[in-house]
Amino acid sequence: MSTILECTDLTKKFGSKVAVSAVNLKIERGQIVGLLGPNGSGKSTMIKLANELLTPTSGTILIGGKKPGIETKKIVSYLPEKTYLNDWMRVHQIIGLFSDFYADFKPERAYEMLKSLSINANDRLKTMSKGTKEKVQLILVMSREAELYLLDEPIGGVDPAARDYILQTILRNYNENATVIISTHLISDIENILDYVVFINQGQVVMTSSVDDIRNEKGKSVDGLFREVFKC
Amino acid sequence: MLSKLLKYELKATGRIFLPLFLALLMFAGITRFIAPIGPEEWAAPATISMIIYIIILVGMFVMTFIMMIQRFKNNLLSDEGYLMHTLPVKPWKHIVSKLFVSMLWIVASGIVALISILIITLEKGRLTKIAVGFADLYHQAFEQLGASIYLLSFEIILGILVSLASVILIVYASIAMGHLFNQHKMLASFGAFIILSTLSQLLFTLISMTPGIAYFFNLHISSPNDFAAIQAVILAIAYGIIFTGILCSAYFAVTNFILCKRLNLE
Repeated sequence: MSTILECTDLTKKFGSKVAVSAVNLKIERGQIVGLLGPNGSGKSTMIKLANELLTPTSGTILIGGKKPGIETKKIVSYLPEKTYLNDWMRVHQIIGLFSDFYADFKPERAYEMLKSLSINANDRLKTMSKGTKEKVQLILVMSREAELYLLDEPIGGVDPAARDYILQTILRNYNENATVIISTHLISDIENILDYVVFINQGQVVMTSSVDDIRNEKGKSVDGLFREVFKC
Repeated sequence: MLSKLLKYELKATGRIFLPLFLALLMFAGITRFIAPIGPEEWAAPATISMIIYIIILVGMFVMTFIMMIQRFKNNLLSDEGYLMHTLPVKPWKHIVSKLFVSMLWIVASGIVALISILIITLEKGRLTKIAVGFADLYHQAFEQLGASIYLLSFEIILGILVSLASVILIVYASIAMGHLFNQHKMLASFGAFIILSTLSQLLFTLISMTPGIAYFFNLHISSPNDFAAIQAVILAIAYGIIFTGILCSAYFAVTNFILCKRLNLE
């Protein structure tokens, strides 16, 4: 197994506020990783640093051994926590845009998923509910054959039935070498698909562990451990 | 990749500008047909249609300005930036695609405005008169100035385009510099704009005060014959284009540096 994501002393400050503080982290390929922490713990900031949407204050972040840039963007499929699509576009136009720019995008996969979730490809995003927009974004992101998927709160705004479908979709679309990093605080919902967890709090990595270890050695569920670690 | 960006930029802006162009030409046509019909009973509709025409005309130019700012700020530095900056595309291509498309719409708006004015004011036979007038002007100019008339026209067109680019790029650079601040980004952008334009003005003054250049211009412009004078004008415009070109590159470099190295999307 080789490393897909590596942070060395990664720090990000916003003014005087420290969002990510000297994080050292290595994520190996071929697993589903939960980036778990309470609200405001620095999950989104870390994912945005990996996408070059934020510039680190100090330290480095490497994806497949490279600094974030054109080459890493070709292999990273990112789902942001906000809706980033143009309101005026129709779904099929956005699929066209993704096909144009990402060599690894599979439009047929996107259309198939749209059909399963009964979303009309001719609809404009303007007319859609927030949940439907989120579904469209997730479909777009998961229709790529990326090496690294960075999903920031992918299930926050959608109903439980769609949530199940989406998790199934993630499982189905991810191949042996790909890595999925999911940031969320809704742990019980995704616990079953995780291989590895990173607990993060106040910008620092508190604990990393494989899910098997948590279950076998500590005899707890990830959700249980999370509640214990982050007890208020 | 640049051509794909241009394609999407055109799509995103064309859906606003094409209907505006169409509306402008339509109201120019309506005004044209109503106005000459004659006596008082048509005066009110003609006035109304004329007013609507003027509103659209003004709105069109205001829109080119708003779109120039919005496409840069919203598409690259707000939520939509999450998509644009995760596409495997170098930031300079984003800037270039937005710059070119913005320039295109400004030039197109000018041309459409001109056509609409022609539609309203043109009378039978006037078009041929204008054409003849232009031909005369051209012949006269050619007789006096010779082949340098081509050079001069080329320079003027190039000068207009470069000046246009510099106006757009100084706005981009200001918005990008405003983005460096954690708070009050809009205010910071205004501040950056004032600072950048003052600096550019200062630089221009400094350059034109350089003894060599001042001497050179005095020498030529005071020359007695037309030919030497036109040579001086051509040279002066060339200097202007080079100077504006340098400013453009500086604004571009600032914008590109910020998008590459200092991007912080919230």
